[in-house]
Amino acid sequence: MDRITLEVIGAGLLTVAEEMGAALIRASYSTNIKERRDCSTAIFDARGRVIAQAEHIPMHLGSLLGTVEEILRRYPPSALAPGDMFIVNDPYTGGGTHLPDINLVAPVFAEGALFGFVANIAHHADRTGEKIRTIWDEGLRIPPIRLLEGGRLREDVMELLLANFAVPDERRGDFRAQLAVNRLGERRLGELIARWGLATVSAACDELLAWGERKIRAAITAVPDGVYRFADAMDDDGVGETPVPIVVAITVAGDRMHVDFAGSGPESRGDLNVVRGALLATVYYALKAILDPTIPANGGFYRAITVEAPEGTIVNARPPAPVGWRTQTCQRIADVVFGALAAALPGRVPAAGNGANAAMVFTGVDPRTRRWYVYLETLGGGAGATAEADGLDGVQVHVTNTSNLPVECLELEYPLLVREYALVEGSGGAGRTRGGMGIRRTIEVLDHEASFLGSLDRARIAPWGLAGGRPGGCGALVLNPGTGGAQRLPSKVWGYRLAPGDYVAILTPGAGGYGPPGERPAPQVRADLEDGIVDTGRAAADYPQAAGGESNGR
Amino acid sequence: MGYRLGIDVGGTFTDLVLFSEDTGAVVVDKVPSVPADPSEGILSGIVSILARARAKPASVSYVAHGTTVATNTLLQRHGARTALVTTRGFRDLLEIARQRRPSLYDLHAPKPPVLVRRALRREVQERVTADGSVRVPLEAAEVDRVLDALAGEGLEALAICFLYSFLHPEHERLVAERARARLPGVAVSASSEVAPEFREYERLSTTVANAYLLPRMGRYAEAFRRRVAEVGVPAAPYINQSNGGTISIEEAARAPVRTVLSGPSAGVAGAAWTASRLGLDSIVTFDMGGTSTDVSFVRDGTPAVAFEREIGGIPLRVAALDIHTIGAGGGSVAWRDSGGALRVGPESAGAHPGPACYARGGQAPTVTDANLLLGRLGPGGLLGGAMALDVGAAERAVAALAAELGLSPLETARGIVAVVNANMAGALRVVTVQRGVDPSGLALVAFGGAGPLHAGALARELGIPSLVVPPSPGLLCALGLLVEDLRTDAVRTWVGTLEPATIASLDKLFLELEAEARAWLDRERVPAPRRSLERWLDMRYAGQNYELLVPVPEDVWTGGGVEPLRARFLAMHEAAYGYAADDEPIQVVNVRLVARGRPDPPSLPRLPRATCAVGAALVARRRVLFDLDAGFVDCPVYDRARLGAGHVVEGPAVIEQFDSTTLLHPGQRATVDDLGVLLVHEG
Repeated sequence: MDRITLEVIGAGLLTVAEEMGAALIRASYSTNIKERRDCSTAIFDARGRVIAQAEHIPMHLGSLLGTVEEILRRYPPSALAPGDMFIVNDPYTGGGTHLPDINLVAPVFAEGALFGFVANIAHHADRTGEKIRTIWDEGLRIPPIRLLEGGRLREDVMELLLANFAVPDERRGDFRAQLAVNRLGERRLGELIARWGLATVSAACDELLAWGERKIRAAITAVPDGVYRFADAMDDDGVGETPVPIVVAITVAGDRMHVDFAGSGPESRGDLNVVRGALLATVYYALKAILDPTIPANGGFYRAITVEAPEGTIVNARPPAPVGWRTQTCQRIADVVFGALAAALPGRVPAAGNGANAAMVFTGVDPRTRRWYVYLETLGGGAGATAEADGLDGVQVHVTNTSNLPVECLELEYPLLVREYALVEGSGGAGRTRGGMGIRRTIEVLDHEASFLGSLDRARIAPWGLAGGRPGGCGALVLNPGTGGAQRLPSKVWGYRLAPGDYVAILTPGAGGYGPPGERPAPQVRADLEDGIVDTGRAAADYPQAAGGESNGR
Repeated sequence: MGYRLGIDVGGTFTDLVLFSEDTGAVVVDKVPSVPADPSEGILSGIVSILARARAKPASVSYVAHGTTVATNTLLQRHGARTALVTTRGFRDLLEIARQRRPSLYDLHAPKPPVLVRRALRREVQERVTADGSVRVPLEAAEVDRVLDALAGEGLEALAICFLYSFLHPEHERLVAERARARLPGVAVSASSEVAPEFREYERLSTTVANAYLLPRMGRYAEAFRRRVAEVGVPAAPYINQSNGGTISIEEAARAPVRTVLSGPSAGVAGAAWTASRLGLDSIVTFDMGGTSTDVSFVRDGTPAVAFEREIGGIPLRVAALDIHTIGAGGGSVAWRDSGGALRVGPESAGAHPGPACYARGGQAPTVTDANLLLGRLGPGGLLGGAMALDVGAAERAVAALAAELGLSPLETARGIVAVVNANMAGALRVVTVQRGVDPSGLALVAFGGAGPLHAGALARELGIPSLVVPPSPGLLCALGLLVEDLRTDAVRTWVGTLEPATIASLDKLFLELEAEARAWLDRERVPAPRRSLERWLDMRYAGQNYELLVPVPEDVWTGGGVEPLRARFLAMHEAAYGYAADDEPIQVVNVRLVARGRPDPPSLPRLPRATCAVGAALVARRRVLFDLDAGFVDCPVYDRARLGAGHVVEGPAVIEQFDSTTLLHPGQRATVDDLGVLLVHEG
């Protein structure tokens, strides 16, 4: 295969995946997909290896890879037919990573044989359980089953699905968009294959995989050989108050890397557990971000990198451990991989980011329409300072990257009011470069009773600084702040009843600083003071060099 | 009658086209731009072209120009010192934006810097809710306190943006009034005037950008008007907007954000106009320059408009032609990535140092260098030989990359062109196939300096049957300025379900918008037969959040009711997303009105019929490589200026002209029509 044809076909495959992704966002119904973009798309070869993806959320790769692998394990190509489409979400029988992420996967045929798969995943923000202790408490588990057979929708299956959701109209609209997107992908892939011929496209896919592996091996070779260790912890296991350690040892030898999580804590009682697919996706994210952001996501990656984690730990859970908020733990897994490689690659790894997947979920009956609603929002926070620049303020970090829901969309759809949406002053860790700031968002319940779920980590164990930088601020959940009845809520809370007029503030964590604060240029500190990013007291303590003099703000 | 003058101000050159309404004669000119004071470059251009045409300044009846003043001010971040007044609790929204990080994996990718620093973002107590009612009233005394506190800050501009101001603009109006009184000399911009649409962040971002541009654009407009008057041109100048229409320079100075994306829009207008004269209504435009390429789709003579665009990381909610831009052009640099693959762009050698063959110190191999080695560009150089090309330098640059890749220099050069063509084919697919448009019913209009060199291969790749190369591909933007409509776009957010009872409310809103539009057309003195008003609605299924822009059928208002509108929405949804649900409720979100004043259509002179054989235009022969296996092919080289109407050139061939080079692949055939257009088909 000549290199140029390869490039051209690679670009063509990517265009198909991206077109699928754009169509999913635009045609879906629920705010979590259409506005917050909690969805991804990908194309696989017949062996289940990713050959192109349009990812919006790094975590989704774990689910997409896992579900295609599980379908292939259960169904030999001869048992698949054109017009089939599978629906899957279960982490333990389907390759998923948690139940709200629902995957639709369709085999694609060319010249009478299985060419590969098109797949998309979307996070359906629907019902939330209370007092979750097992996977059965978390919702409907869907092993790989056909939603489409011979191109026809299995209405009875759809009925079963919809009967298990709180907001079925939204689910139906989202499923319809997901079905249409895979059909679009199938059609486009067919056109691509018709244009180049099956043999050429298949050969190109193999070569793309080999190219990816060469890239990752080149990147690993550039890391000095050695064993790099790091330990951090979750605030708690979602139920008690005891921290759960997350531990990694990374061994680099030539062009190979082994990532071992031995020493990490046991399965959590709460829903913070991570299944293997989610662990792999997280490690993949962290290594790609640190080593080379242009490394493609494909099977070649896992030939160069091995990942090991003891079964029955929070990082490799067994059934029926609950997994709903596994993203909190995945953020910490990314943190420890970053921490370990900071020693191997000085100056290239940023300090710890907000390290949480801070979330608020309000559920209730809308007094205006008398219908159930579920409003989910996950919030960004600080990003870690790098050796060169201050950390970004108020962004999603690591394995997630959802958008916010605009206030004017939120209040139109839900009986809620946003009182405040701001950066948390002082939450950026001090340093030569400053850690990013967290977000404060305060939401009031209007004219009805609502049930509230909050999920947050780094409410006790702060995001660390690097090379002398100080830690960032911790997160918190506060009920009715600024009133006599103000009350701090636990960082993981379910089924909390809110009365009409109650409001909850979430403060997301900031991020660690980089380098000694004493080395921060004084005019920069003064500009931060004028902008209210640090207060006078903290500035005097962290940055004595800034007393008096000029600011460099405009 | 008199002259119409189009002026397109680029970063390096200012292009001018002067058209005589009496004789139909066209004169073109190109002068260096003066970035420090663009109006100065324009002035010398006007003097120069009028002298060439022996025309009196007083006889110029219309001046339209395209400028990048607003674009560059935003990109280079040298706009006004701006403050913001917003709803209590929301001053950081400008910074949080949509809370996504700029790159999923690149941890060093910066967020675009905000245009108003935190210390100058001030809050006031006020709150309107989703139904437009006031939950917390605005106190004038607090407004005055906040404005007075800003008085010593040396402000040049103030942006005002409150939640739900598109439903309840009174709070913003109050702040604007008091600001004009208490902050004299400060330009004020309120979101309910600039972008009265829902989704607060995008509205805020648009309003802040507008405020940031106001002072500079105001000064520019004034200088421009003065300069034009000084040379004795009596016509009030017009300026090109992002929506592909022009507007008087005074109006543009009031809403400068409308001109930010205007750069490539005049070229699209010029291309659509050129094609329409050949009877081609549905086209793809392909404008390839040195660092970027712009493509767009024109259906039935009307370029598509989009309302969500970004520039320099700043989202803008303004009507803009739906142009897709990719960072690939003649100056794009080719390189080997860490997996051993050949890549082209997005880095560009720009005009300085430029491609290696410019011999200005550039070492990196570019698309232009590859074209030179393949014989597609001639060693005689660009701009009619005024700019020589150094073949040796191009060879050295390409050979260095070839050694890294383990390929021969020729394989590498051919590879560079194939990769950049694949990127551009992808861009053309985005605006056609991805939107459900079949390329086999279209024509490709190629312009920009490098467009005609690559377009033949792209038309073939996409199965586009005809290729149009305008007479002056490098000057199409300036020509476009002369054929564009006067145009203004108005919008109001109105959220409601589509049902028979809503038709009357919509009609009422449209009538209000139309009254405003008529007043504007009166001010512009557009005669009645040249006016048009178009009604559009942003529609979606209740529950979706992205809208389709639906043209409202006439019979809705003449007794048809909702049915024709519903039918049109369903058909568009089916085309866009592959499905349409009959039974789901449909929502209207925004009401839009487009008002146009059509100019007198210029009638360009016809090219005389060729009186001699095409061989008379043959100026050279050279070896060109199309296909590696076939090797170099001996090709005739024609001078376009010597081609007459009716001439036919068979590919393989090269057709050279002052501002561009057209490449005909083996099997392609170009016909010169009597407008001087090259029409290329597969033989």
